[in-house]
Amino acid sequence: MNQTPAPAAGTVPTADPSHVAALHGVDFSIDGKAIFRGLDIAIRRGAVTAIMGPSGTGKTTLLRLITGQLRADAGRVEVEGRDMAGLSRRELYAARRRMGMLFQNGALLTDLDVFENVAFPLREHARLPERLVRNIVLAKLQAVGLRGAARLRPQQLSGGMARRVALARAIVMDPQLLLYDEPFAGLDPISMGVVLRLIKSLNDALGISSVVVTHDVREISQIADSSYILSGGQVVASGSPAELRDHPSPVVHQFMDGLADGPVTFHYPAPDYPAQLLDRAEGA
Amino acid sequence: MNGLPGEVLQNFRDFLARLGALMRFFGQVMLQVPSAVLRPRLVVEQVYNTGALSLVIIMTCGLFVGMVLGLQGHDLLERFGSEDALGVGAALSLLKELGPVVTALLFAGRAGTALASELGLMRATDQLSAMEIMAVDPMRRVVVPRFLGGAIAMPLLTAIFIVVALYGVQLVGVQFLGIDQGSFWSQMRGAVELADVNEGLIKGVTFGVACSLIAVFEGYNAEPTAEGVGRATTRTVVISAVVTLVLDYILTALML
Repeated sequence: MNQTPAPAAGTVPTADPSHVAALHGVDFSIDGKAIFRGLDIAIRRGAVTAIMGPSGTGKTTLLRLITGQLRADAGRVEVEGRDMAGLSRRELYAARRRMGMLFQNGALLTDLDVFENVAFPLREHARLPERLVRNIVLAKLQAVGLRGAARLRPQQLSGGMARRVALARAIVMDPQLLLYDEPFAGLDPISMGVVLRLIKSLNDALGISSVVVTHDVREISQIADSSYILSGGQVVASGSPAELRDHPSPVVHQFMDGLADGPVTFHYPAPDYPAQLLDRAEGA
Repeated sequence: MNGLPGEVLQNFRDFLARLGALMRFFGQVMLQVPSAVLRPRLVVEQVYNTGALSLVIIMTCGLFVGMVLGLQGHDLLERFGSEDALGVGAALSLLKELGPVVTALLFAGRAGTALASELGLMRATDQLSAMEIMAVDPMRRVVVPRFLGGAIAMPLLTAIFIVVALYGVQLVGVQFLGIDQGSFWSQMRGAVELADVNEGLIKGVTFGVACSLIAVFEGYNAEPTAEGVGRATTRTVVISAVVTLVLDYILTALML
């Protein structure tokens, strides 16, 4: 496995051709709550980059910044060297045609069957003969092992199958950058293994770049070329999975070893427990 | 008591903000209408979903509204010895008022809630976000065809409602209560003018645009949770009903 360390936080160069996407000093907040403060991340071209971190650290928000669905309060978000904040709506949509995204729940269109879901981007963007559309869709479904499920409705699919269909749809326009939002969440071990292999094989076979947001440390460590761990709105560690395992940071140690308590506390901030129990005046 | 005026003022401000958002949304929808017209298949699908699938409820309600109108109208006119005027009275009230208004209320309850909940669920399950990532504008692909489908279906449903209701009036008045068939229809033909038909048509189109707009607006902007989708559906029915009655008064005042 070719595992190259990711650039250290704060050292991401601007418009580096070896990076398909990069965030430079990004600040972002929602309803006054800071999600990112000076976030620096680079996504290497052709690599599988894992973004990990405890729940609520803004991993999905990061993907939405890359796709231009959200705009940073400060800093730059670059995809293919272009600042996403400076793009017009038309340019933004043109940029998105070179991206694919796998949502946590698949986000398949429920009024279309599997075949039409995968064909959807083709029908919207390319005026292709029906026969060619059919061949492309069947090839993508074959790649994810679901050619036989082409006429099933999304409601008839298991969670793992829905995600594989969504993956076929994400690659149907041959994107340069594939974004995965929690691709393993809620899957049984077999489905998880299938999705894991698909992420790696599609990345290598299609020569694309992949960003995988997950907190399944063990699984993603098998295929990630580089990883970032986010906490407190910043990158607390980056590097290959092996480097992260030996990282001295307590947050990284807690996350990688799955410890219930540590710098990320088990308890949500609350008043003293015995005092609260004895305080009759306070309601339930 | 001090808090009450402040609360009323805040509610009024919220109402104005919501109204402004609705008008802005309407503008966005209208800008996309030409591109949606170029893909008629999507619009026709929605005419089927909002129109054809509402037919049973519209026709059933139309029949019973007409039958009640026949009974009440006959009872009233009998006191003045002018039962033969039942046809014209029922036709005018159905064309000018009952047809468009009752159809709009039924449309809001059947098709409006379906539109709002469908869009709300698409938001909650990331389907709209997925379209945005696929560089497909959900406004153009999803919202505008549904809006147009509803706006086209509503006047058609109104016409069907009126025809079925008139049959109901005739059934009770002529078949059950013995009004002369000839005078029933001839008085109706003699008294009903094209302007009366146009009034019903204008109301049907206006209510169709209003109810469809409210449904797609509430659904598209629903909070992406089960509770949010439920709230959007409820708001669709309530706001559509109020707006229909307010618009009905305004249009009636303008066209009298």
